[in-house]
Amino acid sequence: MATLEILNVTKRFGRKVIAVDDISLEVHDQEFLVLLGPSGCGKTTTMRMVAGLEEVTEGTILIDGVDVTDLPPRKRNISMVFQNYAIWPHMTVFENIAYALRLKHMAKSEIDRIVREVAGMTNIGEYLERLPAQLSGGQQQRVAVARAIAVSPKVFLMDEPLSNLDAKLRVSMRTELKAIHASAKATTVFVTHDQSEAMSIADRIVIMRDGKIIQTGTPEEVYEKSANLFVADFIGTPPTNFFDVTLQKSNGTLHLVNPHFDLSLDAANTARLNGYNKEQLVLGVRPENIVLTSEKDSIMGMTALVVEPQGSHQVIAFKMDEKMVKVVAPSQPKPDMGSTIHLNFSQGTLRFFDPETTFAIGD
Amino acid sequence: MAATKPKSLRKKLEKATPYLLVLPVVAYYAIFWLRPVIAVVIGSLTDANGALTLHNFAMVLNDEKFWPAFNNTAIIVVASVTIEFIGALFLALLINRKFFGSSIFLFLTLIPMALPAVATGAMWITGFTAHGWLNSLLYYLGFLAEGDKIYWLGGLEANTFKLLVLVILVDAWQVIPSMMIILLAGLQNLPEETKEAGYVFGGNYMTVLRKITMPMLRPTIQTAVILRLISAIQIWLIIVLLLGFGRLPVLVERIVYYHEEVPGLDISYQMSAGYTIIVSVIVSLTALVYLRASGAFKKEEAA
Amino acid sequence: MNRKTKKTVYKAVKETIFYLFVTGLIGAMLLPVYFIISLSFLSTREAYRYPLPLVPALQTKFEMTHGERGYLLSVYDRVEKDYQTVLDTSELEKMEVYIKSQLGTSISQEEIQAEMDRLDDSGEDSIFFTKPRNLLYNYDTFFKVTRDAVPALIRSLEIAALTILISITIGGLAGYAFARYIFKGKDALKFSVLFVRMFPGVAIALPMVIILAKANLYDEPLGLSLIYSVGAIGLTIWITASIFMGIPESLEQAAQVFGATKFQAFMRITFPLALPGLAASAMYTFLGAWNETVGAIILTQFKPTFSVVVYQTLLGASGQVNLAAAGGIAMALPAVFFTFFIRRYINQMWGGVTV
Repeated sequence: MATLEILNVTKRFGRKVIAVDDISLEVHDQEFLVLLGPSGCGKTTTMRMVAGLEEVTEGTILIDGVDVTDLPPRKRNISMVFQNYAIWPHMTVFENIAYALRLKHMAKSEIDRIVREVAGMTNIGEYLERLPAQLSGGQQQRVAVARAIAVSPKVFLMDEPLSNLDAKLRVSMRTELKAIHASAKATTVFVTHDQSEAMSIADRIVIMRDGKIIQTGTPEEVYEKSANLFVADFIGTPPTNFFDVTLQKSNGTLHLVNPHFDLSLDAANTARLNGYNKEQLVLGVRPENIVLTSEKDSIMGMTALVVEPQGSHQVIAFKMDEKMVKVVAPSQPKPDMGSTIHLNFSQGTLRFFDPETTFAIGD
Repeated sequence: MAATKPKSLRKKLEKATPYLLVLPVVAYYAIFWLRPVIAVVIGSLTDANGALTLHNFAMVLNDEKFWPAFNNTAIIVVASVTIEFIGALFLALLINRKFFGSSIFLFLTLIPMALPAVATGAMWITGFTAHGWLNSLLYYLGFLAEGDKIYWLGGLEANTFKLLVLVILVDAWQVIPSMMIILLAGLQNLPEETKEAGYVFGGNYMTVLRKITMPMLRPTIQTAVILRLISAIQIWLIIVLLLGFGRLPVLVERIVYYHEEVPGLDISYQMSAGYTIIVSVIVSLTALVYLRASGAFKKEEAA
Repeated sequence: MNRKTKKTVYKAVKETIFYLFVTGLIGAMLLPVYFIISLSFLSTREAYRYPLPLVPALQTKFEMTHGERGYLLSVYDRVEKDYQTVLDTSELEKMEVYIKSQLGTSISQEEIQAEMDRLDDSGEDSIFFTKPRNLLYNYDTFFKVTRDAVPALIRSLEIAALTILISITIGGLAGYAFARYIFKGKDALKFSVLFVRMFPGVAIALPMVIILAKANLYDEPLGLSLIYSVGAIGLTIWITASIFMGIPESLEQAAQVFGATKFQAFMRITFPLALPGLAASAMYTFLGAWNETVGAIILTQFKPTFSVVVYQTLLGASGQVNLAAAGGIAMALPAVFFTFFIRRYINQMWGGVTV
């Protein structure tokens, strides 16, 4: 298989618009890498530059150490699943999958074997003689995937491949794609704006914003060690809760103070903030790290505004200074809407951010 | 270094692709349009001996038929574009309702567009003669007494106004379909939901048409009208087929008249060249004014 | 129940009124076409009658009596509702020619002789007989008698084909560029399509006589198609651009990713998908080239197009309205036939076109 390296790549449209701003990135052999970001962040442009569909303004792209920056798509040994599938409507499923193989002048029997093999992998074996118009959205999606894996590419590109499917199908295709990747073992770059999709499918996530890479890491890393406010907010549903707090010192312990609570930090957290000498801080707490406790163990009592039972757990929302705070708690005990709930934070998972730079502190 | 050479060539070629694609058109226009146009422009600016002069235009403006031709053309343009637009829009809205049989209806309405000018000419000539099918039909329907005839194109009462009305109607009959298909395509490409939203929020057919459909259709209307406007100013063939030269002078008819009908005169070529240039200027100015007034330039300025 | 029936009745009435209206509308629109078709089937004698018969007769009724010079032939006149004497002769050939050419009726000399014998044998004053009309007589005559009709028809087809070829290749390339690329001068070129139409086409044809003569293309089909293409290319650009815009670029890009060159991707993916629309565009061009008359009058001399031949039949001294009508209808047939197909592609062709 192969590695993919993106070195100091920039893409400008015209003179002014910078879509991708000097990014560097390495995708390891057989890795499933997800480019994640809101729309317009440059993730699709980055992928299209890797595919050769978009010209690179500056920088270099290497596949297996070979400079492909100026090669046309067909010479890059890649394959791609397009957002709208881009399966050819005038060709049968079989012809769609076989087209690339024919261009490689493969023997007829070999083409036949490969098509049937990938069709089996993607469960479309029975539709080979149909035209795309006769298939459902999910089946078209499978054809696009089958076509892409048939060529055994060095790098496998997927541009929001699941975004046109309905919610339920999207989740099941996600699992299937992961399984296909496990058996095909292709180096994969997957673009999406859906963070839960990224979390569930990726070996490693690259989070982009405004043409820049904000953070690279495993799903656990970007979730637990979000590099800045943007990532902490973007990753996870419900997102991280942020509290503007003031740092106060008394008797050698640090307190994070806010009109609603006064949190005295434990030794480990105090140590983390050792080098920080500003007065203001943004405290980030994941919804599942706000815990319901007895009144005596709590640091604040708030009014439960909305309680949403989810079966396995419940989401409780309360309002603090016009901002909605969400808590993910075990399904029992269930507070009544409008009742007072007593809350504390679990100290081992607190995140601190510098309000001026937005970066995380104390990692 | 050697490795970078083919890459830059490929890049250059890629950049040049759109220009290479439009090059044939530009070359074609240069040879088969610009060259004859220049020849006419030169012809309009030179006298019979080849000396530079503006006298030709003076001759055209002093031609006794120039102002009648100008006025007739103006009346035909205003009336026919209006009538044709309303008729085309009506038909397009009707066909867009997609009733049972609307596809065949569409085909039938397109027939006038498909008929060659000579066929329509034959049709109206045989219709408008005193013993033609139009009078016959009126007779059978009881509108005409036996022995009574309407002299559509001739006779003593054949005044300019009557001829203009006939020409405008005949022209509309043939032209409405080609305008209609442009409007129909525009209508069919409007998202159905926008209209439905209009109805949901309390609009009736007319308000939805006026407040939603028409504004959204505006780019299409501009296209249809500008194409029609340009060719309406150049109307002449149907007039000559029906009436011959000179009875209802219009601008382009004068070009052909001087070139084809009286080619022997010293001034024939100069007159027809002069008329051509004047017509082109009028067409260009009208198109420009229309495009400006209808806001077709605005989107480019905004971009 | 009662309300339901009321509603159904109301709906049925509404629909009936709507269809009556639509039928009436199309009837009024196509009435002139009906008359020219009807005229093309009328006999020469009837074509000049007033009031004109509303429908062509399918047969001709004859009365034969003895006349001064031989046999007196009368035909039933549908206007006067009576038999009118048309001929008094004993010459079989004269009678046959008259019946065929003036009455558009099939008859042979043997049949005429048989009727004459029947009259003589019967001893009656007159006999009556009926012969079927030769409805295609005008069409037949138009092609046989009109000088050049068939070669002109072939030339017209040739010109239309060449015009389609030129405008689809040249205009199609530019249309593709319009649909897929952003380039300098795009807007200017888009407006040039309008600009080209602003100069009277007939005025272009005049200097073209000299230009074509120099290139030895005057009075040649190729020369005419080169002129016709000037007008056709512009619309072809607009229409093909609209067609290509309707085909997602990603289909082509997918082919490139899977190993095709840009050209291969176009030929294998975009072109086949665009083909129906392109065919409709070609038919549209055909209409223009096939129907064009004025340029053809100016730019041909010994090799007229079919439209010129019809024009001459119509306005020429020898012209007969029913023959001209037959020529016009013959000419209109292929155009109407293509229109039948074009109507399906109106959306594709004009959907993406805006000034």
